[in-house]
Amino acid sequence: MSEQILVGAVAYHPRIVTIWERFRDYFAEAGVPTDYVLYSNYERLVDALLAGEVDIAWNTNTAYVAAEARIGGDARVLGMRDVDAEFRTVVAVRRGETFAELGELEGRRLALGSRDSGHAAILPLHWVREAGAEPELVRFDTDLGKHGDTGDSELRVVEAVARGDADAGALGDATWVALRGEGHPAVAELELAWRSPIYYHCNFTALPGFEDAAWSEALLAMSYDEPTLRPAMDLEGVKRWLPADKGGYATLTEAMREQGYLE
Amino acid sequence: MTTRRCEAGTLELGAGLEVLVSASLATLRDGDLLDVVVDSRSSSIELPAWARRAGHDVADERREGDAFVVTLRARPPTAIAAGPALVASTFPTSELRRLAGPEPREADPAVGLVPLGALPEPSPSSYDWALSSRDRIWTDKLASLADRAARAQWDASRDIPWEAVVGLRPDVERGVAQVMTYIAQNEYAAYYVPARYLGQVNPEYVEVLMWLASHVHDEACHVEVFTKRALAGGQRAYALAATELSLQTLLDERDFGAAALLLNVLGEGTFLDLLSFVSQHGPDAATATAARLAHQDERRHVQFGIAHIRHRLAHDPDERQRLVAAVEGRAAKLVSLDGLSPLVGESLVLMAARSAQPADIGDAGRAVRDLLGRMNRNRVRRLRAAGFDRATAEQLSELHTPNLM
Repeated sequence: MSEQILVGAVAYHPRIVTIWERFRDYFAEAGVPTDYVLYSNYERLVDALLAGEVDIAWNTNTAYVAAEARIGGDARVLGMRDVDAEFRTVVAVRRGETFAELGELEGRRLALGSRDSGHAAILPLHWVREAGAEPELVRFDTDLGKHGDTGDSELRVVEAVARGDADAGALGDATWVALRGEGHPAVAELELAWRSPIYYHCNFTALPGFEDAAWSEALLAMSYDEPTLRPAMDLEGVKRWLPADKGGYATLTEAMREQGYLE
Repeated sequence: MTTRRCEAGTLELGAGLEVLVSASLATLRDGDLLDVVVDSRSSSIELPAWARRAGHDVADERREGDAFVVTLRARPPTAIAAGPALVASTFPTSELRRLAGPEPREADPAVGLVPLGALPEPSPSSYDWALSSRDRIWTDKLASLADRAARAQWDASRDIPWEAVVGLRPDVERGVAQVMTYIAQNEYAAYYVPARYLGQVNPEYVEVLMWLASHVHDEACHVEVFTKRALAGGQRAYALAATELSLQTLLDERDFGAAALLLNVLGEGTFLDLLSFVSQHGPDAATATAARLAHQDERRHVQFGIAHIRHRLAHDPDERQRLVAAVEGRAAKLVSLDGLSPLVGESLVLMAARSAQPADIGDAGRAVRDLLGRMNRNRVRRLRAAGFDRATAEQLSELHTPNLM
């Protein structure tokens, strides 16, 4: 067992077990024996990484930035999903109530997802304030600790806008596309007014000094064309793993510092 | 490289935008670009988000006056084979292979339920098709046999002159009921044998599936029509123990080719002569018609059996010995049978006799003896057509079950 690399992840949905059972077999076949441990929230996962309980943490961007701050800037990032490299936040409004600038949200009601979600709360609030607005916040902290992974708080955001309980709502573009694609009634009478610049989302984080070459190589070699891997990769929302870099977290780091998440 | 334009107007994601864009992308060649023009900023925001997740590259996003343009790059297109050479508004099954490519000698035993010529998405299917080798199940006649079977379907409820089943003498009706019951009993075996293999055939060999499905349907129809005729005259006849024993050994056979020899060539072949006899001598039009319609179907089954055995013998030099062994093995289990059941033989005579006068009974008896001789000669002829030499054919015919099926 001690030979194995231990990956920590957060159990935000039962499918996480399905995903990691398959990935564990995959890494074993690739000659990099790997096991996984699930935590109920990202704070525990980051604690476990820093305590050396796990070698690698499958982190949200918020969890990574928090870990990086505690590690002191030397964390290793081992890889991310293709979708993590081009994440965006969008702002939805009721049809016909669009705006030209984020600053126009001054004095309006802005719905946000769970307050520890980078894409549905921390980043949009940062950009709104940067645009000079201080809207009334309507928060939905329904998946705290999961950093917005469940999508539940984002659904409540669009429902609040549709009901008229908020004038605008922030959510990840992936969630928006999924809700639109399935014809969810909550978004039927909404449209998008704004989208953010691209930023990075999840990554695999390790402590400085972790010998990551073999594990990263195996991760990047995981192929969506392999029929037995595809279902697990679909559940994880990845078609291709990319080498990670730290280039897409600057804005989030700044936003978390401003909003007191790194104290 | 060319750039095509797709005017999407007010369409939104989830309400047709992605359908139009996907369809437009599908018409492009690899590397070509598609300018999607939408009226609203909302659509211009959600389209790239959708496109990235659908695997399309977003090459550019820009304004053109009041409109928004999102430029997508096409992925490699899927090759489409040339269309069929169709004449006279028909699409014969033999054309399928021209479109989908020739049948492989070996099919992947784990393949999923993939229609012929379809491009399977990767999937972790875990089938284990027992019949995945072409030459264990094949004949080049399959496509045309399946098409003929589809054209020749009939309806046992409506296509028989059932009103003709009245007024036969009780002894004649008793004979008819016994012959019909005997045939129906045997048709059950002809039903279960192909039905068992149906679930084992690799989906790649769709012609075999079509053929076996038609075979099963034919036999269901035969069981129906002979059961109905047996009961139509108000009599109840016997399901014979000797027949049961004989059919049991047929159902015990686990090899597709050996089953084709025992059932299609030997059993159904012999029944061709029996059904001809019944259609010729049946005392009423319902009996004669039932036998005539069943005979048409059985001819196809026999043709399949002969063609398949020929194919096997031609593709595998060891096959002859295996097939002979299967016939010998079955005969060894049937040593207790020493001839056609007397009840069936007497019933055939009663059914065929013009009257109860001794002369007519005598004529009918000779006709039945002639039938048994004809059955043996025709069995040898069919075995030779299937590729056996004369001595082997005579030996195998001799070993065939006295129950006929």
